[in-house]
Amino acid sequence: MAARALALLVLIGTLLAGGPEASAQLERRPLRIYAITFRGMTDVERGFQDYFAARRIPVQITWRDLNRDASRMPGFLEEIRRTRPDLVYTWGTSVTLGVVGTYDGFDPKTQITDIPVVFTLVAAPVLAKIVPDLKSSRRNVTGVYHVAPTEAQIRAMASYRPFKRIGILYTPTEQNSVVVVKEVKEVARRLGFSVLDMPFRLNAAGQVTADGAPEMIHEMKERKVDWLYLPPDSFLGTQAEKIIIPAALAEGLPTFASTEQLMEAGALTGLISHYYAIGQFTAYKAEQILVNKVPPARIPIETLTRFTLQVRMDMAERLRMPPPLPMFNYAELIMPKQGVASAQ
Amino acid sequence: MLEKNYLWRVYWQLAGVIMVCVVIALAVVSYFSHRVFDRELVPETEKKAATEGASLRALVLKATGYGIPFDGLYGVNRTFEEVFSENPEFSYAAITNTEGTLLYHYGKEPQGALVHFHSPALLAAMRDSTVPWQVALVDTQYVVSLPIIDGAKPLGVLHIGIESVFVDHVLLEVLLDVLVVLVVSLFFTLELLNFMAGARLASGLGEFGRQVERMRVGDFTAQARVRANDEIGRLLRRIDAAIDHLNVRYEFLAGELQDKLRAADAQRREALKPAVAALESIGKRFKFGTAPKESQTDEMNLNRIRAPLFTFILAEELTRSFLPTYVNQLLVTVPGISPQVVIGLPIMLFMLIVALGQPYLGSWSERVGRRKAMLVGAGLAAVGFLATALAYNLYDLLVWRSLCALGYAMVFVAAQGYVLDRTGSANRAQGFALFIGAIMVATVCGPSIGGILADNIGFRASFGVSAVMSFLSILAIMRLPAVEIRPHNTRASRTPRLREVLALVTNRRFMTLTGLAAMPAKIILTGVCFYLVPLYIVSLGNTSAMAGRMLMVYAVMMVLIVPLAARLSDASLRRDRYVAVGLIVSGLSGLLLLLSDSILVLFGVVFLLGVGQALSIAAQSALVAEHCQEEIRVFGSDAVYGVYRLLERLGNALGPLLASLFVVLWGYQGAFVALSGFVLFCGVAFTLATRSEEWQAQPAHP
Amino acid sequence: MGTIRVRFITVALVVSFFAVGMAAFLNYFKYKSTIGGIVKSRVLVVGRGIENSVQASLALGMQFTELSALPSQMEREAASDPLIQGIDVFDSTGQIIYSTDAASVGRSVDRAWTDAAAASKSTEWTGEAPGEYVAGISLKNNFDLTVGYLALRYSRDYVDRAAQAAARQIVIAALGAFVGIALVAPLALIVVIRRFERDLQVLETAASHLEDRGQPVPLPGSAFDPIIDHLRASLRDANSALDDLRAKLDRAG
Repeated sequence: MAARALALLVLIGTLLAGGPEASAQLERRPLRIYAITFRGMTDVERGFQDYFAARRIPVQITWRDLNRDASRMPGFLEEIRRTRPDLVYTWGTSVTLGVVGTYDGFDPKTQITDIPVVFTLVAAPVLAKIVPDLKSSRRNVTGVYHVAPTEAQIRAMASYRPFKRIGILYTPTEQNSVVVVKEVKEVARRLGFSVLDMPFRLNAAGQVTADGAPEMIHEMKERKVDWLYLPPDSFLGTQAEKIIIPAALAEGLPTFASTEQLMEAGALTGLISHYYAIGQFTAYKAEQILVNKVPPARIPIETLTRFTLQVRMDMAERLRMPPPLPMFNYAELIMPKQGVASAQ
Repeated sequence: MLEKNYLWRVYWQLAGVIMVCVVIALAVVSYFSHRVFDRELVPETEKKAATEGASLRALVLKATGYGIPFDGLYGVNRTFEEVFSENPEFSYAAITNTEGTLLYHYGKEPQGALVHFHSPALLAAMRDSTVPWQVALVDTQYVVSLPIIDGAKPLGVLHIGIESVFVDHVLLEVLLDVLVVLVVSLFFTLELLNFMAGARLASGLGEFGRQVERMRVGDFTAQARVRANDEIGRLLRRIDAAIDHLNVRYEFLAGELQDKLRAADAQRREALKPAVAALESIGKRFKFGTAPKESQTDEMNLNRIRAPLFTFILAEELTRSFLPTYVNQLLVTVPGISPQVVIGLPIMLFMLIVALGQPYLGSWSERVGRRKAMLVGAGLAAVGFLATALAYNLYDLLVWRSLCALGYAMVFVAAQGYVLDRTGSANRAQGFALFIGAIMVATVCGPSIGGILADNIGFRASFGVSAVMSFLSILAIMRLPAVEIRPHNTRASRTPRLREVLALVTNRRFMTLTGLAAMPAKIILTGVCFYLVPLYIVSLGNTSAMAGRMLMVYAVMMVLIVPLAARLSDASLRRDRYVAVGLIVSGLSGLLLLLSDSILVLFGVVFLLGVGQALSIAAQSALVAEHCQEEIRVFGSDAVYGVYRLLERLGNALGPLLASLFVVLWGYQGAFVALSGFVLFCGVAFTLATRSEEWQAQPAHP
Repeated sequence: MGTIRVRFITVALVVSFFAVGMAAFLNYFKYKSTIGGIVKSRVLVVGRGIENSVQASLALGMQFTELSALPSQMEREAASDPLIQGIDVFDSTGQIIYSTDAASVGRSVDRAWTDAAAASKSTEWTGEAPGEYVAGISLKNNFDLTVGYLALRYSRDYVDRAAQAAARQIVIAALGAFVGIALVAPLALIVVIRRFERDLQVLETAASHLEDRGQPVPLPGSAFDPIIDHLRASLRDANSALDDLRAKLDRAG
């Protein structure tokens, strides 16, 4: 392990302040990080750990998994208070809200206010009220979100195949999706295309259902929609692989994914961020706090500047829509049987 | 005045002939350069096309490797488009199959391309994987063809066309610089004509003119002068001879009359009466005898200041168009100060040293002698330039620039003193015209040539050139007469006292002129020309040479309009109008950038600024004498002008500071607009202030 | 030949020398920068290919120091163009991590390279090595942090030889033009100068006959006619006044 750490000593050179300090501040005592994940270890954690190893910053990470069980949270909070780590790492919206609460409604008695918290993989930190805006949390919190800006996604879609109209299927009860639909419409007004948005139906119990989704997709095709955009929508995520994407494929409608999960469900292409890179970026934020001593409130909440464009080559072939030639230079081309092929 | 105009006519004719010759020579050089470019650049570009082609081919093979059919590729045009945007010399690209059938193409298809693509020889070669690439001239394009072979299976051919006239475009870019060289050559010619031949001719013809004028009013006193041994010298000697003869004759006649009168009796005296009357009338009408040794108005020596001054100022002016960019390169972060402001620091410091140093250096140069002061100054500046060229970072650069500033102030003040020493009240204006002329020509030639140099040989080497120029100016200064002239009638100039400064800066009339006109004019000059233009142009992705061209436009406007405005404002005597109009025109200049941020508009900005400054500059200082007589009476002209100049030069130092602060707040365009807006405001305020009755009344009681 | 003539011709020669010299200088440097640019962009085409694959690997979560496929790709690319003498990849401290020259792995690159790369506003930068030019690309990760640098070393000799050949030809053209001007300019100038000299001549002749009594020598017509008239008039005035005195003296006996 030590050898590996040594081999990684030279990972990331930085133009930003902190490059020289990082090695200068090799403290005797490793920095203690308390990390809570939502559903076990992912690539985010791997990227997070690798970053510190590469920067030769000694850290001691205590891993705790919520395992989708909110009842474990009080125990973790109690442990944090007791062990007083240097930093708390939270994975996803649920965990983050559990640890720090909303900016206008947290409970200082149970939740963490005096230890810096870095969250990761929160799709919409402002919407979730974790932070009032992306410039600053105005408290002891900062973090990383992972969804590419809507306009970047729209442009990526257009560079694959130009379009005049896109369709969106979304869950009307998910605030997050409603906001994304609104954003897409704004971009549409600016770039000059139209949007056909259709909410999933609700059943008698007021629960969202995928019934009638294939018909809606058929209607979209009829109404000259060129792409089906798949927003970062939880319900859609559960239905994409079995119902939505096959239906679109049947209609010959290409699908564009906004998350890696939707990509895995079989979308043709998508602009996504790799969990590994998100993890590294989260570690970079943690470094700012721990090594460079920047107060979390002064570190903006950001996402990656460069996202990964993935293309499912099997889908491209079935839709008879090969990616444009320049994309072979930068896209990640996926062949499901052979796994992932990089753009080499 | 006739002889002066005559001489200028001769100069312009000579300059015209020289320019024609220069233009022909430039055309010859350009023609041969074009041939060299053609011969050498085309093969290199073909190689580059082959490399680009190989990378495109790799991309195509990668796509087909994923099972995409060769004739079913999508977005090939976009790939070509991207390659073209980075390689403007490529004008056509195409992919054919192995039969030569066109599958994809982009750009301007050369005539006969299809025939070429189908040529069996080419197609045969393109099935051979050992052939790297082939090139052929099709119509006006060199077409580079590469085989696309997947393993052993030939798929098709990639063609890239290079427009054969792309070399023309490359040379067209040089043409602008060559034009600048032409303009600079014209000014050099006039300056050199003046220096090498003109100084003597002008003083000779001037002397001749004055002699004629003296004789016209009846002054035939002999001038004890040493005449130069040239055409004009001979001419003057002839006239001297004629005058000598007249004098001898007069002496003789007068003597004879005296003798006769002495020896005469009353009757003869009566007879001599008409002769006596005639002599008296001659005495009234004419003046004979030997001229009293009048003050040394040695124009010959006066003119000799022009060459060293020009060379020296040129050294500093060379750096104008690229100094801020150079500073940007050596920038170190100064905590608490925005980098934009830090870039302005060296210019500010320079101006500040010049402003504060001048009053002291004036009396210093009087003590040590003008020539020596200039030598020391030019030496300091030469060292400063050399060290600037080798500067390590911003901090030592500030020290070296301070040296240059000190040297600049010394030479400037001493040269001014040199002119003052050698001119009387009659020809002082002429002396200063010469002084300003040398500086103006340097401002035309310096920034443009400096920009060209910086782009081609780098910033550091260009500072080296400045150091060489300062060194040359040292040689020229050494040729100045070693004998110092100390006019007795002038008091030693003195630095204004604090009390006077305080009294004047609180004086409303004085500050109307200084604070609303003189200082804003200098602020916009240094802020825009020395700071904003060089940085903004480079930030737009343009070169320092472009910045130099801009500054040349400004300087040319000054050269053209200042003499005109000076004459007109002298004639019409409403100088304040010229100042007001000039300020408002300057103030409107930057507002142009609200319309668009193109380079042409920026040219417009500099043009208007030049016009505005030129209109007001001549009238400004004259206004002080005109409107502040009360103050001059109380404090003395020296103090009033001393404070005026001091404040004006502080304006020079404020310019970059204000400009950089505006850049921090509103970006470059915003800074142009804000600075102009400020000057516009001052211009309007000045106009209103000078319209008031109190102001109008002032010139009435001297 | 008059001294004025010599001076005017000297001016013409100095100015022509300056203009022709500057034009040659400009053309040479334009040539040098153009050919340098063409060669550099050719090298950078190769570099972009390597950059693409590094970025793709990083995006997949591979470590910058563990790009096992990179050295062989670099070898291949370097071999594809004889102009390229070597390719190095180094980190922000300047330590070489991958190189086509196996011996230099682990060594440090010239500090000027890292400085140039750090100072560059785009991802491209340039550097120099003994006998080599360097075209560089900064390798950035997904959140725009520079993870390392790619340096493509190519033959300086190649560029310099091309520039020297052009320089020689441009200098010859410029010298030719200058010699031409040196022959033509004096002849052309003499037309103007002669008129000027003639004017001076007339003036001098007139001046030398100023004291001649009787009818003045008719003027051949020059720019100085009015002045000569003035001169003559003043002298005539003075002389006639003195003549008058003489006459009056004589009359008085």
